Amino acid sequence: MLRTALRLRVCLPPPRARTFRWSATPHAQPRADTKDNVAVALEKSPVVQAVQRRLQQRSEMQAKVQPDSNTAEDKQTLQRIHEMEPLRAAWEEWENTRNLLAETTRLLQDPDPTMQALAQEERSELLARLAGLAERTFPALLVPPSATAHLAAMLELKAGVGGSESSLFAAEVLRMYVRLAQAMGWHANIVANNETDNGGVKDAVLEIKGERAYDLLRWESGVHRVQRVPATEFNGRVHTSTVAVLVLPLAEDKGSEVDEELFKMEEVKVEVMRSRGAGGQHVNKTESAVRLTHLPTGITVSMQDERSQHQNRRRAFQVLRARLMDRKLIEDVKNRRDVRRNLVSSADRSEKIRTYNFPQDRVTDHRIGLSLMNVEAVMEGEGLRDFLDELAKKHQDDLLEEAFVAS
Amino acid sequence: MRWMMQAVQQPNQQRGNAIEDMVARRVSGEPLQYILGIQPFGPLNLLTRPPVLIPRPETEDWTMRLTKYVTPSLMRPIRLLDLCTGSGCIPLLLCRVWPAGSVKAYGVDIAAEAVQLASENTAICGFSESSDDPPSRSPFVRNTFRPILADIRDPAFLQSSGLHPPFHVVTSNPPYIPRREYELLPPSVKEYEDKRALLGDPDSEGEGGDGLTFYRDIARLIAHQNLLAEDGVLAVEVGKGQARDVERILRDQARLTKTTIWQDPWSVERVVVATR
Repeated sequence: MLRTALRLRVCLPPPRARTFRWSATPHAQPRADTKDNVAVALEKSPVVQAVQRRLQQRSEMQAKVQPDSNTAEDKQTLQRIHEMEPLRAAWEEWENTRNLLAETTRLLQDPDPTMQALAQEERSELLARLAGLAERTFPALLVPPSATAHLAAMLELKAGVGGSESSLFAAEVLRMYVRLAQAMGWHANIVANNETDNGGVKDAVLEIKGERAYDLLRWESGVHRVQRVPATEFNGRVHTSTVAVLVLPLAEDKGSEVDEELFKMEEVKVEVMRSRGAGGQHVNKTESAVRLTHLPTGITVSMQDERSQHQNRRRAFQVLRARLMDRKLIEDVKNRRDVRRNLVSSADRSEKIRTYNFPQDRVTDHRIGLSLMNVEAVMEGEGLRDFLDELAKKHQDDLLEEAFVAS
Repeated sequence: MRWMMQAVQQPNQQRGNAIEDMVARRVSGEPLQYILGIQPFGPLNLLTRPPVLIPRPETEDWTMRLTKYVTPSLMRPIRLLDLCTGSGCIPLLLCRVWPAGSVKAYGVDIAAEAVQLASENTAICGFSESSDDPPSRSPFVRNTFRPILADIRDPAFLQSSGLHPPFHVVTSNPPYIPRREYELLPPSVKEYEDKRALLGDPDSEGEGGDGLTFYRDIARLIAHQNLLAEDGVLAVEVGKGQARDVERILRDQARLTKTTIWQDPWSVERVVVATR
């Protein structure tokens, strides 16, 4: 009975506004204790100031550039000016609304009580509109659209500390992501699955394709910890084991092994595993394992799950491309700014990110401090969505915070 | 084992004790490829059936390499002949990788089982020379492969097979195992795969034989029957340690003066490529 109730709570997440949360930023929310200084407070809020700075930059660019110029640099500047047009339009609306508000505020002093009442009503509407602009429209326009939204995700799972219990949990985590993919309408494909004798998984590779698959799943990288009494434990003691998850971006398979932007063929050493003796007609054993080494980075990829050398080679190159793409994205982030983002703790993927506590029937994400009851709902995929949503929102907040600083 | 499980889990497979049967066959030493009935070869999935030789990864590797070494196109199409074609794996992979309409391939094998299996594989891969094509489609719009039953050691081979040389590319993975080594082959090879696809000394009875009989026959066909075009390419797979001897045979007897040796992924000299 209790379980059912708890599951309901998880399946129906508490209603929460899907808007930018001020509390997430270090810039304190302007205190708007009375209605009178709401407008002033909004005006001083970091998001509005960021918009102003951004538009200031825009007019500076406009002053410098020749509108009919053909140089590459000017074209790029014009493109940037053009891209900021929606922000400018939103700002215009903001200013109009603010002017109307000033007029309406004057009418509050009107001797006619009907007029006063009307003004009061109008004022509430205008304030709501300003708040909407500041809390939703501006943040959305300040943060550039995700450049990785189209990428599929490749998940690498590895059983960590905890012996066979760890591999059993790895099997459950693998299943969790397959179920999640179903719930999200994504397409999941187990590319490699190195099973243990007791039904566990030593390591596995899962490919998930679908809209925003990589964007939503990338925060799953890290160490997942399970606390429970293992099926193999007879004394009823609670064990702690871990599974490491690595989420890599996966570009569309264009059919070629090399992606020129990421690596050159000469940089990859291709090896086949084990000796075949005389080989050729002398041997008909299935021997198809392949190992790639990307020499500049030392990244190695081994693949043995497919039956032919050719297939394993294709898969291995796919994984290599994903690893190198991941590296490139991390580099891009580093180059763009100092890494203040706590979510993309790109440097350390050995960080413990989540605990699945079975005795207490609770899952906790340590990065956002979110705990949800009902482990089973999470393991069934549906409950995991709540974590993904919260993490995506946290990321959006972080990006906005960056926009404040960058503007 | 996992691949057997997957095969059983496929829909439209007979269930019942399928997996038990498979395991029993495997335990008795039958090659996995025969039990599953299918073997990936490059991007292809080919049927495998006893006693036709199972496509090997070494062959897969050098055939993929050949697709880049020779590059025909729709504008410069070629004709290809594969001797001792077996399952048809070499010409079928070439037909798949090379652009449509760039190759018209023929294959020859002495075993009726092989020609039958190669025909089925050709149909599956969609490279049959079907006669019910609309007449408007020229025969070179797509790649085709035709397996033919014939004995390449027969002096009247070319006349009886109805083939019209010369060919731009001649490929072959002929039987190359010397009799001495044949006797020592693992049971999964010796007891299941066709002796005619393995034994390179079909005539000798005793201990002797270097396993190179078929390379001499191929050299003779090239020297006397105009099998290979003037600017043609010959690519033959060889057994471990045979590459230098085969190279000599091709130079001396086939008068193919330019030769290269390709290694397989296990660093064994596996292929001799020869041109005039």
